[in-house]
Amino acid sequence: METRVGETYFKRLIVFYIPLFMFLVAMLFPFYWMLITSVKPDAELYNVRSVPFIVKEPTFEHWTYLFEETLFGRWAFNTFWIATATTILSLFCGVLAAYSLSRLRFVGSTSIGVSIFVTYLVPPTLLFIPLADVVAKLKLIDTPWALILTYPTILVPFSTWLLMGYFKTIPKELEECARIDGASRLQAMVRIILPLAAPGILSAGIFSFTLSWNEFLYALVFLSSPLQKTIPIGVVSELIKGDVFFWGSLMAGALLGSVPIAIVYSFFVEYYVSGITGAVKG
Amino acid sequence: MKISTISTTDITKPAGMATKPRVPLLERETVLGYTLLAPALILIVIFMAYPFGLGIWFSLTDKLVGDPGQFVGLKNFLKSFRSQIFWQAAWNTFFFTAVASIFKTILGMWLALILNRKFRFSRFTRAAVLLPFIVPTVLSTLAWLWMFDATFSVFNWVINWFWKLDISLFDLALKEPFRGRVRINWLGDPALAMFSIILVNIWRGVPFFAITFLAGLQTVPQDMYDAGSIDGANGWQRFWNITLPMIKPIVIVVVVFSIVVTFADFQLVYVLTRGGPHNSTHLFATLAFQLGMQSGNLGEGAAIALFMLPFLAVLILWQLLYLRKEEGA
Amino acid sequence: MRKSDTMQAPGSDQAAINKAGLTRREFVKSASGTGLALAAGTGLSLFSGQAPAFAQSRELHILEWSSFVKPADIETDRQAEEFGKQEGIKVRVEHINANDLNARATAAVESGAGPDIIRLLSNGPHLYAKGLIDHGDLIQEVGGEDIYQTLRDAVYVDGVYRGVPYHSGGGAYVYRRDIFDEVKVGPPQNWDDFMAVGTKVKDLGYPIGQSLGHSFGDPPGFCYTFLWSFGGSLVDENGKVSVDSQATRDSIKYLKEFWKAACDEGGLAWDDTSNNRAFLGETISCTLNGASIYFVAKNNWDEKQNPFVWKLHHFLSPAGPAGRFHTFGGQNSCIMTYSKVQSAAKNYIRFIHKDENFEKFFVINNGYIKGVVPKWEKHEMWSWDPALTPYRELANYGKHIGYPGPYDRRASEVFAKYIVVDLYARAVKGESDDSVIKWAADELKNIYS
Repeated sequence: METRVGETYFKRLIVFYIPLFMFLVAMLFPFYWMLITSVKPDAELYNVRSVPFIVKEPTFEHWTYLFEETLFGRWAFNTFWIATATTILSLFCGVLAAYSLSRLRFVGSTSIGVSIFVTYLVPPTLLFIPLADVVAKLKLIDTPWALILTYPTILVPFSTWLLMGYFKTIPKELEECARIDGASRLQAMVRIILPLAAPGILSAGIFSFTLSWNEFLYALVFLSSPLQKTIPIGVVSELIKGDVFFWGSLMAGALLGSVPIAIVYSFFVEYYVSGITGAVKG
Repeated sequence: MKISTISTTDITKPAGMATKPRVPLLERETVLGYTLLAPALILIVIFMAYPFGLGIWFSLTDKLVGDPGQFVGLKNFLKSFRSQIFWQAAWNTFFFTAVASIFKTILGMWLALILNRKFRFSRFTRAAVLLPFIVPTVLSTLAWLWMFDATFSVFNWVINWFWKLDISLFDLALKEPFRGRVRINWLGDPALAMFSIILVNIWRGVPFFAITFLAGLQTVPQDMYDAGSIDGANGWQRFWNITLPMIKPIVIVVVVFSIVVTFADFQLVYVLTRGGPHNSTHLFATLAFQLGMQSGNLGEGAAIALFMLPFLAVLILWQLLYLRKEEGA
Repeated sequence: MRKSDTMQAPGSDQAAINKAGLTRREFVKSASGTGLALAAGTGLSLFSGQAPAFAQSRELHILEWSSFVKPADIETDRQAEEFGKQEGIKVRVEHINANDLNARATAAVESGAGPDIIRLLSNGPHLYAKGLIDHGDLIQEVGGEDIYQTLRDAVYVDGVYRGVPYHSGGGAYVYRRDIFDEVKVGPPQNWDDFMAVGTKVKDLGYPIGQSLGHSFGDPPGFCYTFLWSFGGSLVDENGKVSVDSQATRDSIKYLKEFWKAACDEGGLAWDDTSNNRAFLGETISCTLNGASIYFVAKNNWDEKQNPFVWKLHHFLSPAGPAGRFHTFGGQNSCIMTYSKVQSAAKNYIRFIHKDENFEKFFVINNGYIKGVVPKWEKHEMWSWDPALTPYRELANYGKHIGYPGPYDRRASEVFAKYIVVDLYARAVKGESDDSVIKWAADELKNIYS
């Protein structure tokens, strides 16, 4: 436990422990709620008189419903594979673009940089219809590629910005020395810059992965076979039937669609934090 | 930027270094520069620039579904201006974005300051705090929908529990007690509905702000704080005079980025209120979607969606210029 | 990363570069090579119009909503499979949330690719007419002039039939007979009755629940019929805006009083599902609904422990000065122009409309849906469950949402903007009659001009 200069225990309580506790409750209460709802039998769920915070007779029927009656396992796989491929593609484009824009000087670099940046102002609600046209013409409709190729348009601008900031902090001398010793620019980039930028790349990766994991509108419009769907789409279409919401299974799906990822993130979070740090400087 | 009067040949170089010829170097940089940009540019041109151009075209035609429509100039925009629903959505979008962003910034910063200590389980806490950001928006919003439900809201249940103990809260928001139970109409009262969507947006956004600010905070060396407190500065002064100036660039970028995304927010309102009660939570994005999808009027939908752009463009350009200025300094 | 860290990097990496120099170059070359190849391949397919090697066998893809009556979906899937075996084609039925149907249909029509048949709701055929084929022959086979007028209007666009109504539905009021008995009232016949009934049950603690939020089922189901029953209308037969009338004002006056005296005021927030939950949670005693509440009560609850379902019954919309009205709409099977299996699609529609097949579907829905021709009103199913019998007559009072004006795209836009719903919601919240009527009139003029 780190202590600050001149800080009493009482002060620490006020300034640290209590606010931290309040934040944790505020952030995590809905997840507790999801957990409770996912194991509550329907009779208790729809009973106004029951206490919402506890479950009298927990049941696993909603969880089994999720796995047996819907293709949740398959959707999880799809979402994971699409998010991973998108992340790799976005990082690839982003790293190259960021290097080019931050380390090289050439005609047009400023305006291209600005226009890449500006592209993420364009809202998906405007784009999705014309984009459906493009995707259909490329015969990519109802395949994961429809998403893998379109998500980067949302992810690349931010990743590029992030990585540019990070690249700028790496002194030019490092590259110059390498090139003096005979390495080409590309070699210098790959062997020197990328390893140093690893935390930044990781944080851009986490950001890209999260956003494509979450995306709804494009996935709704471009995917149609149940086997191709992603978690957000599949869960909402299978578990909301007309008037009836299958709350228990919906919440189970929500938990499964977030907690495992959070666990994985917890290993990378330190890198993510230091990754943004690099982008701050400069 | 001052034009340097020193010619390049005067810059001292280590003795043994040869001066590379100018022309090939420049060419090589340009070629390499464009080559590296190529993947990003190809993707963006095919999947962003072209559809965007098409979208602009739509907004200038009377396009309906399946019907290419004819050029009508600014008619769609004018029709929107005459609609009160449009102006309601405009006001909602600005209000929603402004309030949510202010709170996200303040709360995010506060949380970042709290997390900026080493303590046991800090790794777990940071990951846990990220959960609202990770969970698919549509699903977490559904959870909130259930929490806000007019009949079964857990918040109402809690308030009722207090009510029974004769502690009165929220004089403004209380609707008539009903069979001894208080029922706050979270999504049914226009003002409360706006409050609710802002609340959910804040809940979802604070983790992102907090974690990103935290990264920024970690660049400020601890000794600067210690020096400050030895000099007699209290916590607040330390924050205001030491921390904030040092992380200003990242604060600005994160805030602007978030404003852009919040302004164009769609999923949250779509799931929670669909724009109701009577349009009090309609945003540009949801209104555009509703017009385009429910009535097939793609031209008008595109016009409304486009309307967001000028403001966002101004904001982004300001940010770019500001940061460029900071860099140059 | 602190500034101090970067200073240490140079020394260690120098040797590494020299050692791995060649391999790195090769790696970068091959990586960009594959990338280019992918792009080139995609680009080529764009030019040649040929599909990349994704399998294309004959398949009939049907897109429809996800029915809350799950057995109905299962039956639809089963019939589709049976048909597929008969016809020798693979059939795939996709169920999605009804609210998302339009988004998918729009994308499909615009991009020229997607499902072969889309079951569009209410007057969807008017919206997507440009992307649908002529169904005239099928209409004749399914019943021609016998099909309810409202449903035919839904698919008849500029002289051509753009879809085939499959089934129809409307909402009626479900109520708690035990609560009504307790206050000694019966189902109301007209609005004055309803006011009296409502006041009594609200005093007992079980008000009427009416949704006035933004969703496509119950709120418009109430507001349109309410307005019509007073003799009011949004537009007249010629499409001229007619909302500013004495009838409208009378209806607003009634509703303001009714809301306070008889209704659960949370209804302003309610969507199509909230009233279900409220009713099943026993906080309200009566609400307008398609038979979903009844169905859930019947099937999901343990009848021995909870004899809840036996307390439920239905009544039709109370009559106003101008009569009794219901909104009535259908689901229409529509074949898309881009479909490559149009004859199979037509045969599918013929198949599901065969008496023996439709009957199975009809019975499984247990009163939630009605047929598209009057002969299904006489089916014995209606007498199996007396609680559902009132639904039988619904079609006779049914009108489409454009009534009395044309059932076209503009009517859909009015519906999509929830103009009539907001008219009443705002009035009930306290806004003056003149103000809300003027607002509605302005919005309507904007659409109908």
